[in-house]
Amino acid sequence: MSDSKTYLYPPLGWRLFSVWFRHTRVYTKNIFSNGLPPFLEPLLFLAGVGLGLGKYITESMEGLAYIEFLGTGLLVTAPMFTASFECTFGTFIRMEFEKVYDGMLAAPITVNNLIIGEMIWAGTKGLFFSFAVLCILSVFGIVSLPKCLLAPLVGFLTGLMFSTLAMLVTSFVRTINHFNFYFTGFISPMFFFSGVVFPISNLPSYIRPIAEIVPLTHSVRLVRAVCTHRYNPALMLDLLYIIVFILIIGFFAIRRLRKRLVY
Amino acid sequence: MSTVAVSVKNISKYFGKVCAVRDLGFEVQANTCFGFLGPNGAGKTTMMKMLYGKCTRGAADDGTIEVFGYDPAKDELAIKYLSGVVSQDNNLDEELNVISNLMVYARFYALPRKIAKSRIEYLLDFLELSEKTYSRIKELSGGMQRRLVIARALMNNPKLLILDEPTTGLDPQVRHLIWDKLRQLKKQGTTVLLTTHYMEEAFALCDEILIMDKGKGVMQGTPAQLLEQNVEKYVLEIIGSQSFDAVSDNDIPQTVRVDRSEETLRLYSDDAQHLKLLASQLQGAHYYLRQANLEDVFLKATGRALNERQ
Repeated sequence: MSDSKTYLYPPLGWRLFSVWFRHTRVYTKNIFSNGLPPFLEPLLFLAGVGLGLGKYITESMEGLAYIEFLGTGLLVTAPMFTASFECTFGTFIRMEFEKVYDGMLAAPITVNNLIIGEMIWAGTKGLFFSFAVLCILSVFGIVSLPKCLLAPLVGFLTGLMFSTLAMLVTSFVRTINHFNFYFTGFISPMFFFSGVVFPISNLPSYIRPIAEIVPLTHSVRLVRAVCTHRYNPALMLDLLYIIVFILIIGFFAIRRLRKRLVY
Repeated sequence: MSTVAVSVKNISKYFGKVCAVRDLGFEVQANTCFGFLGPNGAGKTTMMKMLYGKCTRGAADDGTIEVFGYDPAKDELAIKYLSGVVSQDNNLDEELNVISNLMVYARFYALPRKIAKSRIEYLLDFLELSEKTYSRIKELSGGMQRRLVIARALMNNPKLLILDEPTTGLDPQVRHLIWDKLRQLKKQGTTVLLTTHYMEEAFALCDEILIMDKGKGVMQGTPAQLLEQNVEKYVLEIIGSQSFDAVSDNDIPQTVRVDRSEETLRLYSDDAQHLKLLASQLQGAHYYLRQANLEDVFLKATGRALNERQ
């Protein structure tokens, strides 16, 4: 019987798509409670700056008014947060509490398909969150369309990048509360020290190398370049960093997480 | 003509130092129902998971697993495509309603939307869930959820249906309904593989039973064979220690096998007359004489005492 390969299970692309589709379907089921906050959050940030904080910050940052500086940064922090939550708490709950993966893995998909499909989904969520921020920014005239339309693509890459790291962290975590260390110890500091809230050139020289190592810095540079249309060759390094990061961390995340799912 | 659907030879599986499955081998003929019977922790679930690649088999051993001629280590996808799995937990998507759960699952098999829809309509009808098509998962009873998981496993019209404790915790009506459906599926040509610790279930459904204990296969055969070859025909059960204290060992003939637990004395014999005679000597004791069943075989095979995994 084994010589007849007539049982055509779906090809790789379809298998990844079906995992992605499952997540999309579950996410869009509560379109109001899931879809509205990504638009409200940047609104709150910008209101805070526009109505209050901005008055005290008159100096331009990297040639941008403060509201432009912070606003463009939000285009990648939103994807960072959503992908990180999705692939830490979300993945852990699906894996350990809801046992959703056990059901999915009975269908003709491999563990690798499952994990990669989920990373692509996190990237998609990053794209959507970035797009939501972009909508708010353009409504208030902080950025001008259409040149910024590439920003959600950077959001996608950022989401993908943080999903690989989040999955790697998840592969180590035994109790869901341990994620708090990751968020307080890594994600939140990154928000403040990666050039989103203020330029990293203002950091003390002994901290700057750290800012160069962490992933968000590179996303921020890319997205600002896209929004301001100020490209320079060094950006290729940022893009390269992101791609290499996704490949390497993704590789280890898959390798470790599959041991949790197939034992 | 009988073909082999599943063939397992010399399979062992360790989790760390714990041996979950030890040197197990069996064959499942196509179009039959094969049951794993065993106490908790016997290795039934692990064995089932190894068939479709959810567990990997031990790397060091020379054992083989073949499902329709495919090796799960190499052709996991082909096996999954041909099989349906009902795992122990009802792992449904609680955010989605009944039909969405199934539609999402149909994607994994790349079923075209129209075909998926008619297939789902058929399956919901088959498992008597049509009224619940648009219900939320939380509104379903345990029995309905179980049936939905079975419907989901049947999505791609599997040649092999794997069920891990399909009816644990369900009421008799639902259990009988599920049994009926499984019998129908077998008639339609599906090979059914299930684990259970309900004796009646194994007896009602299975053509062949493998009794497992501590990772090992201890007995195998048809339900009738297991009864005939391993246990006496009749049992006299005497309940309450004060009743059977009166029965001294001298009264019991050599041919009668005795199984004593704290509050029950069971006397096994092929000769009902022997047992009747013994019973007549018990005045006012609480006893009954019955035919031996699979549970007696099971207890004989796996022992009465609990082990550390139960």
